[in-house]
Amino acid sequence: MLALLGDYTVQNVLLGATLLGVVSGLLGSFAVLRQQSLMGDALSHAALPGVCIGFLITGTRHLGWIMAGALTTSVIAALFVQLVVRYSRIKTDAGLGIALSVSFALGVMLLTWIQGMPNASQGGLDTFLFGQAAATRRQDLWFMGGVTLLAVLLVMGLWKQLKLVTFDPLFAGSIGLPVVRLESILTAMIALAVVVGLQMVGVVLMTAMVIAPAAAARQWVSRLEHMILLSMFMGVISGVVGVLFSATVPHLATGPVVVLAASALVAVSLLLAPGRGMLWSWFALWRERRAIGQRQMLTTLYKLAQHHNDPHYPVERSMLDSFYGVATDPILRRLHERGFIAPASHMRVEGRHWALTDAGYSEAEKVLEQLGMATEESA
Amino acid sequence: MSCTQRHEPNLALHIEDLTVAYEGRPVLWDIDVNIPPGVMAAIIGPNGAGKSTLIKTVLGLVRPTAGHICVYGYTPRQAVRRIAYVPQRSSVDWDFPTTVLDVVMMGLYGQLGWLRWPGRKERQRAMEALESVGMEALAQRQINQLSGGQQQRVFLARAMVQDADVLFLDEPMAGVDATTEKAVVALLQELRDAGKTIIVVHHDLQTVRDYFDWLVILNVRVIAQGRVRDIYSGANLRRAYGGRIALLDPESGEEEPDAVPREVGG
Amino acid sequence: MAAFFADPVYMILLTGALVAAAGSLVGTFLVLQRNSMLSDAISHSIVFGIVVVWLLTKAQSGPLQIAGAAMTGVLTVFLTEIVARTRRVKRDAAIGLVFPVLFATGVLLLNLYARDIHIDTHTVLLGEIGFVWLDTMTLWGWEIPQAVIWMSLVTLVNLLFVLAFYKELKIATFDRQLAAALGLAPTLLFYLLLGLTSITAVAAFDAVGAVLFIAFVIVPPATAYLLTDRLSLMLLFAVVLGVAATLCGYPLAVAMDVSVGGTMAAMTGVFFLLAFLLSPRYGLLGHWRNRRLKVSG
Repeated sequence: MLALLGDYTVQNVLLGATLLGVVSGLLGSFAVLRQQSLMGDALSHAALPGVCIGFLITGTRHLGWIMAGALTTSVIAALFVQLVVRYSRIKTDAGLGIALSVSFALGVMLLTWIQGMPNASQGGLDTFLFGQAAATRRQDLWFMGGVTLLAVLLVMGLWKQLKLVTFDPLFAGSIGLPVVRLESILTAMIALAVVVGLQMVGVVLMTAMVIAPAAAARQWVSRLEHMILLSMFMGVISGVVGVLFSATVPHLATGPVVVLAASALVAVSLLLAPGRGMLWSWFALWRERRAIGQRQMLTTLYKLAQHHNDPHYPVERSMLDSFYGVATDPILRRLHERGFIAPASHMRVEGRHWALTDAGYSEAEKVLEQLGMATEESA
Repeated sequence: MSCTQRHEPNLALHIEDLTVAYEGRPVLWDIDVNIPPGVMAAIIGPNGAGKSTLIKTVLGLVRPTAGHICVYGYTPRQAVRRIAYVPQRSSVDWDFPTTVLDVVMMGLYGQLGWLRWPGRKERQRAMEALESVGMEALAQRQINQLSGGQQQRVFLARAMVQDADVLFLDEPMAGVDATTEKAVVALLQELRDAGKTIIVVHHDLQTVRDYFDWLVILNVRVIAQGRVRDIYSGANLRRAYGGRIALLDPESGEEEPDAVPREVGG
Repeated sequence: MAAFFADPVYMILLTGALVAAAGSLVGTFLVLQRNSMLSDAISHSIVFGIVVVWLLTKAQSGPLQIAGAAMTGVLTVFLTEIVARTRRVKRDAAIGLVFPVLFATGVLLLNLYARDIHIDTHTVLLGEIGFVWLDTMTLWGWEIPQAVIWMSLVTLVNLLFVLAFYKELKIATFDRQLAAALGLAPTLLFYLLLGLTSITAVAAFDAVGAVLFIAFVIVPPATAYLLTDRLSLMLLFAVVLGVAATLCGYPLAVAMDVSVGGTMAAMTGVFFLLAFLLSPRYGLLGHWRNRRLKVSG
């Protein structure tokens, strides 16, 4: 592994993956919060014709021009979606679908046209579909780094405006911010992330890099600042893990591995993040149910005890089972562990009997009192 | 659409010949509205009457087809620092990752200018606004943990921190509990007594007379406007709400101008 | 007749027209339900299903391939709904989180196990409608391209589905709550619709690939939506526009010597652009005219 890290090519690739993680985590956070996740999908597919145009301009696989071309067509696609949604009855989802599929179709046309040309250097153009991280050169990193720096400066310079427009565009408009322009900037910035990802993951899978790190980060933190930092970190982690993994296993394309790494982070975050993780919610729900079951049992025993004028009146388990319609054994056992009930012998021939202890009796009184107070309040 | 010279500078809000259309359908048709300073005004009218659109147009969020708007004699754009706006609670995503204090500080973004970041002074002013709505204890709370009433108070604090002369509120009592409603009204009345103008889109006809002193009854056109005691009548309300209104007097059961109105159906 | 089925040009045109017709039939409802992007999710993630079915059975086409791979499409929608229902991410993000996982896995499986077969990653994205006539099957004594047979069947199924459940689909699209209250099982209908979308995507896969398919599902219905207010007319217009786009696309592709599938898909975009600019009621022209009328009136 260490030998791998010392390798010049691997260093380039790791730097590229880091830049990709930073820019997609940063700009993806805004896209996800603005419910524009699928804009990333449309814009990444719309980069394909731009890649071809960039190639046509120079006649070589020059990443700078290819990124410029991709940026241009992505931004045009974003403007197209906004225009169509604003000036016709087409809704956003259809607008995105149209931009995505038609611009990709144009890209396919250009791609096949270029492939028909007698030009030796066009061979690697369709690597931009799934990315080819291993072919990253030092000079490519300058372009990727430049775009990343631009994105970071834009977000820092316009920080509070972008935040406000993302959270509450109506209010932003009321204090005189140019909301439409700021929203256009935010959308166009998704295209910045897309072009940085061209070399690393390709146009088809950039969708996931825009969404996944941000969606994962959101689960752990509750402030935009923290979310963006964590999202960038998660983007870097998935980029680096994906690159290293696909470098060690032959024949694996980088893009899909990076995307799966990012998606795994999302799965872990959705399940385990403190506070928002589904596992904790399910656990809390289960505990809630269990506690309610115990409280119901206590009050039932309490009422039976009162009815029979015996605070330690023993009740047979099978009777409780049929009363509740379910097996009450687990509930009874836990109440026993908590010291609220104790086994009691009533008549030897019959099954297990349980009776309230003194602690259980007063606990039941407390539960009923709480319930009584609750009903008084709501009345 | 602009007020080249200061036009009606003595009115908090002056609207002339305003028409707003959406997809070819008029939402507001040729309306004139005048609201003097220092009142607490309600804008009422049935669903689709253009109440929210009216406010949004004044704030420059919706472009009018015709007409002009003046706030203290200035265009809304010129007077942007004198206006505060409380949007409907449902217009934002309350799962947004941010804290209560942070939302209130957003009220100061307009005064801060483009590149400056909020600092300690802004934080302190936001805390003061939170105290005045009784929410200072929740300042660091993530906003998705707030109840509907608490959300409304946060929004109100954000408007108060702007220190504006005219406050526009879009249905601030919708979906909040009775305690919050009373607190919000008390706060707004306090602001009015301090000389501010409060303009509220309101939906509950039964509380109009208790809460407000000025009234605009709207249904695409302005049906009536003026002091609540002068224009709050069964006849005016029926003109706005059509057959959907039943005016019931608790004593006589007869329809009377002073009776308690109820919106039936919707 | 045999000559008809043996002619590559007719077969390419027929396949394209069938993809457009079948896609538009289901696409109309997806567009109206604001679920257009589900077709994107489905068409990407069936790649996973196609690769898995191929690895397990070595079947490259036919009913087993279609049914098996289509299940991945429905699975995608199901998983998306589950993720969205956790309320930890919004629905659009849920769509964009689920399908890339299946798609990426499918591509990796291709990388690892299927590097030399006809479904390379290039075809996955672009399809090869130019070669559909090569892969034939004998039916009633005629050599018919497999793609034509399966696309015809799928188109027929989609058409029957739309005709049989027309009013149910209409109500479920317009007002899902009402449909549920009337006992019309809108959720079942929703999954049936997406199941058919998946089947269509698999059947069309060899011809147009994963991404271009989306153009045939969404763009003609969206174009029709700009031209009419009636559902029945919208369905009709969408099918006609889709078929017309494929018919116009083919000669253009041949003339420019570029991808046939790509040109056909791009033509749907050209038609959309025309409708967006010129539609009397819902286009830019109409919008501009309305605005002028308002100001002067």
